[in-house]
Amino acid sequence: MSDTAPAVEARLLSRHYGEGNTYVKALDKASFEIQAGEVVALLGPSGSGKSTLLTILGLINQPNEGSLRIGGEDVIRDGQLVGNTNLVRRRQLGFVFQRSNLIPFLNAQDNIRLVLDLDDVPGRVARRRARDILEELGVADRATHFPVQLSGGQQQRVAIARALVHEPALLLADEPTASLDKERGRQVMELFRTAARERNAAVLVVTHDHRSLDLVDRTFEIEDGVLSH
Amino acid sequence: MLTAVGLGLLLTIVLGMTGIYNGIIVDATALPDSLRADLWIVQRDTRGPFAELSRLPADLEERARAVPGVASARSYVAHTIQRDVPGGPQIRFTALGLSWPDDHGADLPLVEGRPLSQAHFEFIVDRSLGLALGTRIPLGRDIYTVVGITEGITASGGDPVAFFTRSDAQKIQFDKSNEAIRLDREARTARFRRSQLSRNPDLARMSTAPANQIPALGPAPVSAVMLNLAPGYQAEEVRGRLSQWKDVTVYTQADQHQLILGGIVEKTKRQIGLFRALLVVISTILMSLIIYTMTLDKIHSIALLKLLGARRTVILGMILQEALLLGGIAYTLAIVLGNTIFELFPRRVAVENSDRLLLLLVVFVISIVASIFGMKKALAADPNEVLAG
Ligand SMILES: Nc1ncnc2c1ncn2[C@@H]1O[C@H](COP(=O)(O)OP(=O)(O)OP(=O)(O)O)[C@@H](O)[C@H]1O
Ligand SMILES: [Mg+2]
Repeated sequence: MSDTAPAVEARLLSRHYGEGNTYVKALDKASFEIQAGEVVALLGPSGSGKSTLLTILGLINQPNEGSLRIGGEDVIRDGQLVGNTNLVRRRQLGFVFQRSNLIPFLNAQDNIRLVLDLDDVPGRVARRRARDILEELGVADRATHFPVQLSGGQQQRVAIARALVHEPALLLADEPTASLDKERGRQVMELFRTAARERNAAVLVVTHDHRSLDLVDRTFEIEDGVLSH
Repeated sequence: MLTAVGLGLLLTIVLGMTGIYNGIIVDATALPDSLRADLWIVQRDTRGPFAELSRLPADLEERARAVPGVASARSYVAHTIQRDVPGGPQIRFTALGLSWPDDHGADLPLVEGRPLSQAHFEFIVDRSLGLALGTRIPLGRDIYTVVGITEGITASGGDPVAFFTRSDAQKIQFDKSNEAIRLDREARTARFRRSQLSRNPDLARMSTAPANQIPALGPAPVSAVMLNLAPGYQAEEVRGRLSQWKDVTVYTQADQHQLILGGIVEKTKRQIGLFRALLVVISTILMSLIIYTMTLDKIHSIALLKLLGARRTVILGMILQEALLLGGIAYTLAIVLGNTIFELFPRRVAVENSDRLLLLLVVFVISIVASIFGMKKALAADPNEVLAG
């Protein structure tokens, strides 16, 4: 990965669902770049294709056409996944969802360590990094709590910690503030901003909350699968 | 956890079946082994005395003793007795006659008490009958005292063996009620009166005497004669010599084992073997089901792991680990439970270490087979599911 390459380069990404009557063009020839350290908000009405775009960038949904580079590396070429997709998921991508999606039978600390363990980071290092990031996000005192023992806001912080602990090139967040009140929603957006600046990560965040848009660098708008920026 | 317990109980049964099977073999061969005979003489063309009924004249013991190479000959007389002990439980055992005065039962594996010391009214019995040393029980018209206790000597059916002197054993066997004896004697006297012999006064007196005092009736037959060889003689050599007798068949100790295991135990073995196989299949299905549902329960987390970029091997390893853990818990439970409860079973349940090892292997294989369905499901899990619901 070179320093000058954008964190994300998307070229003519398209995705459609169904046939005939049920045919839906969820994403129509989307092309864009996001630089490292940049926070971009993705806005659009319900059913416009926001989640479709996000899951394609996250390599859990495949486009019918188009190409994608993450951190300067080809990951999708002409609608096909190329290279070691799992490795890209482990090293380059971080996810935050509307609901925290923590693993219920692991405590906060272990949920975070899991990401590092999956990438064979040595135990001592993993433990230290997990502790540090929990500290940074202000939930260090909840390290040994299980997800059900945490409040919604705390769960979301742990989830963000999990998405950041391995220093991904691209952080994808799908309505991360939807389940939080105004105050905490804004705090989460601030966390993303800090992460982008300090960790040099690109952040793409789906949001309906226009009040936090002062915290982002750019906005993409999408309507009926057509992206404009 | 409850499922592990259920599986453990199932494995306990598998282990128990193995133990019961082993127990049957040990039980079936314990008696001939404890008698330590080199050769067995039985009625011609029978597979006696264990696998089949055999009858030999009582004097065969004497004839056999005269054969070169035979150090000792003992008659084998045994029969099963089931009686109510007055004021006690019903008891069932195999009464075996020792060749008194040559054999006092000194060779028996006594764990308590002593061999027989008098020709009558004493006996040695296996611990599994549950009679304590010194217990006196009436058998027929006499009272017999337990003077010695053995351990692990059972007849092929699993009944404990009691050792009497031969004459006592036969007396108990042919013990008849007073009424039966009287009727018997009357029938004999009536037969006698109708014949020409009734003019002989000596015979007339004898016809009313007890059966064992009548020369023409002879002593009660024996089942077999056990031989021990003199030093320096080979079993085959002596056997060859005895085979020329037209009224007997001769078996070695090894032959007896084969007859017993081939005849009595063979079907039981297959029966239990099939049952065990069935239980293993059931355990596998049950465990597959458990692992499968456990995987379904975690499918969301598995999808998340995929999304986080977990390697296939990590996810599959997780499921296998779960299966092995479950198998391990069930196995441990089966062993511990088996060790505690098998002793309480009325018949011998002989679980060897090799059986435990084999079960461990079986559990290992079951665990792997059982995790296959879970693994398939896990591999099919779509990372997109994380977003759903
Ligand atoms: N798996 C699918 N099969 C068929 N159609 C789908 C599928 N996923 C999404 N769609 C359709 O694609 C379009 C875009 O869906 P998408 O989930 O991207 O919308 P969204 O912008 O995230 O909406 P929301 O704000 O409600 O989450 C919708 O019309 C949706 O019905
Ligand atoms: Mg959506």
